[in-house]
Amino acid sequence: MTDHDQARIEYSESGIYTKTVAALAVAASRRDSRAVFLVSGSVYLVVYLVTVGDLSTLSGGWEPFTIRVAEDLSRVFARVGFFRFAAIAVVSIGPVVYLFSPGNALVAILLAGLVAGNVALTYLGFVQPRACGLESSTGVLGGIPALLSGAACCGPTILLVFGVQAGSTLITGFQLLVPVAVLLLLGSLLIVGQQVDPSLL
Amino acid sequence: MTQYVTRRAVLAAGVASLAGCLGRGPVGGAVNPSSTTPDDGTGLDGEPPKGNPGGPPTAQDRLPLPGEPSSLRDRAVSGGPPKDGIPSIDSPAFVATDEASDWIDPSDPVFGLATGTETKAYPQSILVWHEICNDVVDGTPVSVTYCPLTGTAMGFARGETTFGVSGRLVNNNLIMYDRATETWWPQVLATAIPGPWNESPPIRSLREFRVVWTTWERWSTVHPHTKVLSRETGFAQRYGSDPYGSYNPRRGYYEPDSTPLFVSWGEDDRLPPKTVVIGTRAADGAAAFEKNALREGRRIEGNRGGSQLVATYDPHLDTGYVYENPSRAQFEVRDDTFVAESEDSFTAAELPLERTLAFDAMWFAWSGFYPETTLYD
Repeated sequence: MTDHDQARIEYSESGIYTKTVAALAVAASRRDSRAVFLVSGSVYLVVYLVTVGDLSTLSGGWEPFTIRVAEDLSRVFARVGFFRFAAIAVVSIGPVVYLFSPGNALVAILLAGLVAGNVALTYLGFVQPRACGLESSTGVLGGIPALLSGAACCGPTILLVFGVQAGSTLITGFQLLVPVAVLLLLGSLLIVGQQVDPSLL
Repeated sequence: MTQYVTRRAVLAAGVASLAGCLGRGPVGGAVNPSSTTPDDGTGLDGEPPKGNPGGPPTAQDRLPLPGEPSSLRDRAVSGGPPKDGIPSIDSPAFVATDEASDWIDPSDPVFGLATGTETKAYPQSILVWHEICNDVVDGTPVSVTYCPLTGTAMGFARGETTFGVSGRLVNNNLIMYDRATETWWPQVLATAIPGPWNESPPIRSLREFRVVWTTWERWSTVHPHTKVLSRETGFAQRYGSDPYGSYNPRRGYYEPDSTPLFVSWGEDDRLPPKTVVIGTRAADGAAAFEKNALREGRRIEGNRGGSQLVATYDPHLDTGYVYENPSRAQFEVRDDTFVAESEDSFTAAELPLERTLAFDAMWFAWSGFYPETTLYD
């Protein structure tokens, strides 16, 4: 038995968590999968910040680079909705306006990291000699619920878009969108992680 | 629900004077271009209610409620943000008209307040993010409030306390709370109801005053020296955007046929849900005048629970005023004036009658709160 065979046996007998960590380590070590991770994570980060209203563009306007900081920085801990936190600065540059909320940014980075991990591992599954199947790519769909969690001052934005009337049950459901997204993304990461065999890469 | 309103109206009839016109306090809503006097304010120097020390001053008479106070609490829903998640403006700053004109479009809505010595405009684009501005006008502590979901801008005396946003809604309408007693005060109802932070407050109504919904162009033309609520609120917010849609032009949530965001209590489909009416309510009942009809007719005779009314249209501010008219006095509309039988002319805001508090509201909200309302369209 070669060392390679021994490694494959040990890998196949390891747990789902260990396999996922090993797959992520491989993803981090390869330039192509790192690029996939960064691009997909950045795209999700931007989309999430847009859907929750923190990132927007001026309609036909253009502003020089400015930062306006809130007077009461304790607002950084203020919750303004379900997994939504107050902004403490407005950053304007050119046509882009960013409401900087550290809480929202942390949630966005967490979700974007999980989505990017899913995409990167799915990519590795495709490029390894024995492809693990298309179904693993559906894991990134777990990031969609969080994109629906954006809210106006009162009520979820998505309901405004579609003109749907919210009952108390629906509003309660909206509280769960971000945690559900995190759980789905973690679950799918573990699933796709065990389908990537580092020894094949 | 209907029976409750009726019963209250009967009980109140013996003491009925209008909660909206108990006197003339130091703060009033907008007036005509030449007037510098307050109008249909309730008087803002009332006493805090007994058993509610430190709370906001209340009116002598109680406004009608669409049910038992406790039932209103049960029908309250979370809008999403927690208590003070939508932050009230507690230290407002003001700027001059020329500075404000740099960032307010002429057709953007503002909520105007004119008193003997002060004239202020509160841009909708700012209040949509805060809903409450705790201010001092002519030395009187007041709160100018705005609920975007019901399209209602209203002013209240606040005494030594301030109002905050509870995060809960009734019939899509903002439930305010006062920070001294933590009592819930639904904005349109302007009356205390039990809530989780104060289970048994005295059921009293706030002292309220008129805030005029108009546009920046109209307000600044009529009041060129008005002060304008500054965007420097101390909060990090993007005031150029409206999360619900647009009033200039009317889009999104504000379109007349669009659906209310939360379950509406109004089942009256005589008008599309977001149609703007100018409503007046008092212990004797409620009446609503469709704003478009008032624009066209300039004057509409009406009735509120047996009280004869006349509504007038002010083309300068594109708003309406409602008066009690027990003698059924007649006024002929000539251009922008109202001419009495004596041939004396009056502006829409200055008829020689007792003005009663009236304000703009979306029809679904008005008819939901006051299902027995009369409607003139």
